[in-house]
Amino acid sequence: MTSYSGTLWPALEVARLTLERSPSLAESTSERLMESYVDGEVDAFELLYRRVSPNLMGYLLRLTRNRERAEDLLQITFSKIHRARGSYLRGAPVLPWILAIARRSFLDERRSANVRTEDLSPDGSLPEQQNEERPLPTELSDALEMALDRLPDNYREAIVLTKITGLSVAEAAQVLGATETAVKLRVHRGYNQLRKELEQYSRTP
Amino acid sequence: MTTPKHDPLADFPWPKPEVPREEVSAAIHSACTKNLCPVKSMSAATRLTLCLLLSSFVAGVGYWFGIRHHRSELGLRTGVYGALGWAIVQAAVLFIGFSPARGRGTLGSRTLRLVLAVALPVLFLGYLTYSAWSYVPFAEFSHGARADHAWSCGLVALTFGALVSGGVMLAWRGTDPLTPRLSGALAGLVGGVGGALAVGIGCPSHEAWHLWLSHGLIVLALGAMGCVVGRRLLAP
Repeated sequence: MTSYSGTLWPALEVARLTLERSPSLAESTSERLMESYVDGEVDAFELLYRRVSPNLMGYLLRLTRNRERAEDLLQITFSKIHRARGSYLRGAPVLPWILAIARRSFLDERRSANVRTEDLSPDGSLPEQQNEERPLPTELSDALEMALDRLPDNYREAIVLTKITGLSVAEAAQVLGATETAVKLRVHRGYNQLRKELEQYSRTP
Repeated sequence: MTTPKHDPLADFPWPKPEVPREEVSAAIHSACTKNLCPVKSMSAATRLTLCLLLSSFVAGVGYWFGIRHHRSELGLRTGVYGALGWAIVQAAVLFIGFSPARGRGTLGSRTLRLVLAVALPVLFLGYLTYSAWSYVPFAEFSHGARADHAWSCGLVALTFGALVSGGVMLAWRGTDPLTPRLSGALAGLVGGVGGALAVGIGCPSHEAWHLWLSHGLIVLALGAMGCVVGRRLLAP
């Protein structure tokens, strides 16, 4: 995992030093940072990005289950945010707004991938499906990651949003376009499934 | 004696948020901050005011139309009072339906907005039924001058309604990635009510079928159209 303090990114270093000199911005809410970004403050974008991108990346990673696709979608999401920043309603909760944009980007990308034609191998035949055998997990955290991967999409999304991204049930319901009751039900069923999977893991020697 | 069942979820090592690679972050940073300048982001109050002004303009056209066609003073006055009453309802629907407090508490919640999307056309159809002074059987209504008048009235109401709905959607364009279809339906319904009221000021007919079909049906049609268009216009 990389950190932000590396030397590869001098512009961010400058921004970080500037932010250290202006603590008021650093203590602002995400909504206030978004408003400052809309007003053209580069530092505000930097802080907002630092605050939001880990959650967003974690969410996209669990949606796509592929780091490269998740990073592509992260870039697409931020370019959409940049273009749509003028339409941001001042005072509206930022994280659900951004997560909903990310989710729509993911759904659009998946839809276009479904109609994409398959590349043929050099001899003209269809490539064979490769079954990736994943090794058995040795740590509980790995077992949890694998169990999360095996959950149905709607259960996994509800759990990721509420448990990992830290949204409230109401905010998760907004992002998913579902009712709060539906989100609670998905989280509950997802928990039950995760519990079963992890009980199996704890029984294995 | 039974041992307590171990719950593996109790001390779950939930995955930590993921930090994107530096190259990715640098690319995003560069794309989003290059020549960054302030953009005009209208407040919800400004957008609301613009929508109400457009609605008032359309009502004004309806009033002018009524004067040109020598509608009685009492009829015009009643129409204007009705329009004023509904302007308050429209403002409330726009405020709740498009409020920035979406996702926080009851105000702006999805359920409340769904209730509004159902209640608004039902209330408006109830108002039209209450306003109807005369009733002719449908067979009689569907022929001759009455039918012609209903067609022309419906088309004008549809045009006015589409104008107001389009204005509402443009004013709130790209503001709702969360529930764009629902917001689109609300925009269509509010616009439809605005258009139907504008026509109602200038239209002398008080027949039940005329009001239901030429004025009321437009609201439902624009609500459905808004639901479709909202997905494209209201999501960023």
